[in-house]
Amino acid sequence: MRTPIVGRRIVLPALALLCAGPLCSGAEPGKIPPGFQRIFNGKDLTGWHVSRSNHHGTTLMAKVDKGELVIGQNPIGEGGLLLTNKRYKDFELYLEIKPDWGCDGGIFLRSNEEGNAYQITVDYLPKGSVGSLITEGIPALGGTGPRRPPDWQKIWKKDDWNSFLIRMAGEAPKVEIWMNGEKIVDYQDDKNHALGGARDGMIALQQHFTNPTTPRSVPGGVHRFRNIAIKELNQP
Amino acid sequence: MRTRSVVVCVMALLGVLAQAQERGAYTNSIGMDFVEVPAGSFVMGRFQPECAAVGAQGNVTEEQYEACLQMARKAAREGFKVTIGKPFYIGKFEVTQEQYEKVMGVNPSYHTAAILGEAAGKYPVESVKWSDAQAFVRKLNAIEKTNVYRLPTEAEWEYAARAGAEGDTQGAKAPEIAWFMNNANYRTHPVGQKLPNAWGIHDMLGNVWEWVQDWYDNDVVPTRPQGPSKGTEHVLKGGGFHAHSKNIRVTVHAGGPGSVISTGFRVVMEKR
Repeated sequence: MRTPIVGRRIVLPALALLCAGPLCSGAEPGKIPPGFQRIFNGKDLTGWHVSRSNHHGTTLMAKVDKGELVIGQNPIGEGGLLLTNKRYKDFELYLEIKPDWGCDGGIFLRSNEEGNAYQITVDYLPKGSVGSLITEGIPALGGTGPRRPPDWQKIWKKDDWNSFLIRMAGEAPKVEIWMNGEKIVDYQDDKNHALGGARDGMIALQQHFTNPTTPRSVPGGVHRFRNIAIKELNQP
Repeated sequence: MRTRSVVVCVMALLGVLAQAQERGAYTNSIGMDFVEVPAGSFVMGRFQPECAAVGAQGNVTEEQYEACLQMARKAAREGFKVTIGKPFYIGKFEVTQEQYEKVMGVNPSYHTAAILGEAAGKYPVESVKWSDAQAFVRKLNAIEKTNVYRLPTEAEWEYAARAGAEGDTQGAKAPEIAWFMNNANYRTHPVGQKLPNAWGIHDMLGNVWEWVQDWYDNDVVPTRPQGPSKGTEHVLKGGGFHAHSKNIRVTVHAGGPGSVISTGFRVVMEKR
C-alpha cells in the first residue's frame, strides 16, 4: 500500500533518528536488495555458530562490533568457520565485506558442519584472488563458464566495503556472482559436488589458519561483514 | 641403497606387526576385536603456535613476525601429565556397520552398498549421534554381560592413539595410517586397511571421526584430564575421510555435532 504523504513525513525522519545510533552505524539500510531477509541482526550472533570440527580452527573469534560481524584468529594461528544454523538449498545471498589486507578468508556455500563446501575466495593477500569460485574439501569443479575473475582488483574497493551478490540454484548448481554490481562469475556445474550429494547446506564465513608454511593471515587481522541477507529461491 | 632401504622398511613393518601381536587381544560375541592398552602416562594439552618467517610468501613483515611471536608465546600451553593407572581394552577397529546393526537392529550409515558398489558391513558405522553411541554401549552391555563396555574418555583415546609416541607429528605418516582428504576419494573405507599404530590399533586417525565420553569445553586443547561436568556438545577425535591433514593429528580437540556422514565411534572394554 502506498504510504500517505503525511505519514512519510513522519516515518522517514523517525527512521533516520533510529539509525543514528551505534546499532545502525554498520547497517546502511537500503543496500540490501528488495525481498531479502537479514540473517545477521547487527547486534549479536543469533542464527550463527562456530564450527567445532573445521581444520582451520575450532575456536574462531566471532563478535559484533559497531553493528559489524567480525571474525579473526583465536588464538594466533587458529582460524575457523562461522556457520549459519539454517541450511539453504537455492538462494540469493547479499553481503558486504571489508577484510584487513594480508588475510585469507572465504564465503562458503552449501557447507557441512566441517566446512566441506563450494567456496568464494576472499584471499586478500599477496598473489591472492577475490571472487573466484572454488571448492574446499569436496571434488574439484568440472563445469562450464567463467569462475575465476582475472581483473578483480579493478572492481575491488581497497580499504573499503565491497558488496557481493551470489546466486546459487539447482542440484548441479549454477553459480553467479556480482562484486560491487559487476558480474564476475557465471558458472554452471556439471554435477552436484557437495559431499554426500547434499542438496543444501549452511552458509559460512571463513578465517584461514596460519603456520610457518601457510602465512595466510597477519597477526590480529580480521574480516568484517555487514548487511548479510538472503532470498530463498524455489520454495515449495 | 634402495634395496637396503626396502629391507629396513620391511623389518620395521614386521617389528610393528610383531609388537602388535604380542599385546593382549580379545574378541566378543558380536565379533568386535579389542587390543589391550598398557598402563602408563603421557602429556596432553600441549599447544605451541608457530610463526612464519619474515618475508614468507610476501606476507610477513618484521613487525608482524614479532607480533606473531608475542601472541604465540601468550597462547602457548605446556600441557599436563595424564596417568592411565591400569590397562584397558580398546576396539582394534572403529565399530562397523554390521556390528552396529547386529546390536541395534538398524544401520543409519550413509555409505551403503548402493553408494559404495560393494557390501558395506566392514565399513565403519557413521551418521551416529553421541546418544546413538551411548545406546549402542548400553545394549552391548546387556547382550555381553561379562565385561563392561563404554566410550573411551578423550585422554584414553589420545593415549591409545599415541601408542607411546610423543609430540604431535603423526600427521607426517598420515597417508600410511589414515584415510583422509588426500587419499580417501571422498568416502569411507573398510576398517583395518591402513597400517596399525605401535599397539596394533587401526584407523585411530581418519576414516570416521570418533565420539568420546567427554563434554566439549570450547577450548583449543584440553585443559585437564577429564572434560567439564556438563556442556552442550561432546568431543570428537581423529578426523574423518574428508578431513584436511591438519585434523589428522592425535591432539586435535574437536567438538560436535560434526559432519554427519563421517562421524562414528569405537568402544573400550574393562574386564570384570
